[in-house]
Amino acid sequence: MDYFEVFGLPRVLGLDLQALEKTFHELSRKYHPDYFSTASAAEKTQAVRMTAMVNDAYRTLRQPVHRVEYLLSIYGFKSDGSKVPQSLLMEVFEINEQLEEVKAGRATIEEIDSLRVQIKEKREKFDIELQQAGVEWDELIEKGAADDKLKTQLAKLAEILAESSYIRNLERDLEAA
Amino acid sequence: MPKIVGIDLGTTNSLVAIVEDGTPRVIPGPDGSTLVPSVIYFDEAGQVLIGNPAKEKMVENSKNTVFSIKRFMGKGIGDVREDLPLLPFEVSPESEHIIRLKIFGRDYTPPELSAFVLRELKRNAEAVLGETITNAVITVPAYFNDAQRQATKDAGRIAGLDVLRIVNEPTAASLAYGLDKRKQGTIAVYDFGGGTFDISILKLSEGIFEVLSTSGDTHLGGDDIDETLIRLVLKDAGAGAASASIPAIRKAVNKVKEDLSTTEIAEIDLPSLPYKRSLTRSEFNSLIDPIIERTLKPCRQALQDAGLKPNEIDEVVMVGGSTRIPLVRQRVQELFGRVPHTELNPDEVVALGAAVQADILAGGKRDMLLLDVTPLSLGIETMGGVMSKIIPRNSTIPASATEMFTTFIDGQTNVKIHVLQGERELVKDCRSLAQFDLKDIPAMVAGMARIEVKFLIDADGILSVSAQEQRTGKYQSIEVKPTYGLTDEQVEQMILESFEYAEADIEARLVIEARNEAETVLNATMKGISDDEYANLSEDEKAEIAAAAKNVRETMKSNNHQAIREAIERLSNSTMHLAELIMNSAISRALKDKRVREIENG
Repeated sequence: MDYFEVFGLPRVLGLDLQALEKTFHELSRKYHPDYFSTASAAEKTQAVRMTAMVNDAYRTLRQPVHRVEYLLSIYGFKSDGSKVPQSLLMEVFEINEQLEEVKAGRATIEEIDSLRVQIKEKREKFDIELQQAGVEWDELIEKGAADDKLKTQLAKLAEILAESSYIRNLERDLEAA
Repeated sequence: MPKIVGIDLGTTNSLVAIVEDGTPRVIPGPDGSTLVPSVIYFDEAGQVLIGNPAKEKMVENSKNTVFSIKRFMGKGIGDVREDLPLLPFEVSPESEHIIRLKIFGRDYTPPELSAFVLRELKRNAEAVLGETITNAVITVPAYFNDAQRQATKDAGRIAGLDVLRIVNEPTAASLAYGLDKRKQGTIAVYDFGGGTFDISILKLSEGIFEVLSTSGDTHLGGDDIDETLIRLVLKDAGAGAASASIPAIRKAVNKVKEDLSTTEIAEIDLPSLPYKRSLTRSEFNSLIDPIIERTLKPCRQALQDAGLKPNEIDEVVMVGGSTRIPLVRQRVQELFGRVPHTELNPDEVVALGAAVQADILAGGKRDMLLLDVTPLSLGIETMGGVMSKIIPRNSTIPASATEMFTTFIDGQTNVKIHVLQGERELVKDCRSLAQFDLKDIPAMVAGMARIEVKFLIDADGILSVSAQEQRTGKYQSIEVKPTYGLTDEQVEQMILESFEYAEADIEARLVIEARNEAETVLNATMKGISDDEYANLSEDEKAEIAAAAKNVRETMKSNNHQAIREAIERLSNSTMHLAELIMNSAISRALKDKRVREIENG
């Protein structure tokens, strides 16, 4: 059973978070181990496993980036946020240089702020792209599109996700610096 | 259904409570006091005193009067080295992975010592309720790690209690406050006790208490305030104060601390030194301010993790004796911008909440449900001493994660897994939890074996691990070596050694417990067989269930608890598939019902 099935959902990326929470609470009320403390060992074990799956599914699906990562993993796509995507090679080189300056304590507050804005704008651009690609994916699913069409869209999602994860890592590095 | 009690096993005081007629109440001891000081006194003849009588011995018999043992739970000597100079106990040399206190030549681990306090609470409950109590819910600080939780569970077992659930103290407190009358909202629970500090942020909706985040410090409490004051006295009194006088100083400063919650000035008077000085509340405040400041950082972290700003918190609840200090209340009020709740006795509220949770488990209250989180990220050691996180902190529990492992050398039949808890990048900065050895892997070319390892954190916040080789489908045997803590065999040995039970009693108890379990499993099996899903089992599976059930019925007649346990195990295994089918069909039914309802509702 995949996480979408656990929540009774088709494999779409546009989710209503309030409805998701409601289902989460309903499933919790059904399977939580608290309600099986007088049951047999087998039922108890089963309740813990089921609830863990419900919790794992909710944790993954409610967060947009994890949701995309998980969808890709179902189809065997891996998205790696640690490698620099080809499309970002030049820009990242430049940003990294500036980041080094910040880490070495040589950057002024204005320079740090401008770098922060620059990275944030980039991340927001990818967030929007990712969301749009998600909308396209949902349309394909709704239409019942052929496998090759789905594959192309998944590849596109994987690429944008790699780019946006990389930028998000940079953003984290800057906050930590 | 036997009664289930709720127990707050505190650093300074412990309490036991129960829900009767829908209302939780604390059960007092024979002296009428609801608080049992977590103090244990041993005399040379082997007599043990617990609670208030033990507390009276603290000054004159400090070497053999144990207190604040909770601070040692799940810890090795390296974790508490800085505390030891101010503590009168003798520590055994074999304390690297689990602290052992030496008292009259015998070593005691923290779970054994805590078990004395638990047994006292159990006796108090039995005297008032008029029946044997074997089931309990015990609370722990939310920020307790795996080893500390396991140590608490071990303490329960040694005391003859079946610990049905470990509950986090701040969450328990929120249950007691009756905040469920409020339909929606966010709650912050600030729990500052004798030895530990916790902050939990909860979201309440229609009876579901969902913890969003938790943070804290398991080594920060009223004890630290006492120690600051002890150091002040030692500095003032100079060389005249020998370490032997520390217990007397501790008692005196503790009183001054308590007095200053209601008066503006108090006196530290130690005629035995002699030493005398007055302390104003504002002097006291400036001394303890750094300690209070240390509680605010976790508060900000928890808010950030919950994605909330201080002004988005609807209710703030104060728990723990240290929240009686006016400066603590003031600081918390400043942070959240609202007056915190202090209506309930901060010493009792956790025990009351534990009783409410016990009542939920007993099937009393079905409308309330607690969804708690794991306070620390769980990870495994990867190449280069880096910790790779597999379950992030603040994940709702139970939670699980699956990782694939393989072999590096041709024919390798063993794989080592090192499990850790913590937030830092490097293994050396995290808490080592356990080493797992995957054994008997079928010999293959390097990298060919695919071992799927499942990490499961249960509703108590305690980890278990299972593994399966994917190519052969074979379950791997796992040998667990807890880094800090007792093995199952050691706990069993301690149960046997505990003063309470002669060997015959234990045998009899084990047989009764096994028979009860057998009864439960048989009933569940009968229920399962009458389910529609039973038809979907293979004939072999049906035959095995019937044979296993018959075997349980026959074995139950014997007095051999091990044989009964083995028969139960066989029956449980034979019904595993059926239980899974029933659960799955219930899930799809639930989802179908929901869709139908949604359509009906338009």
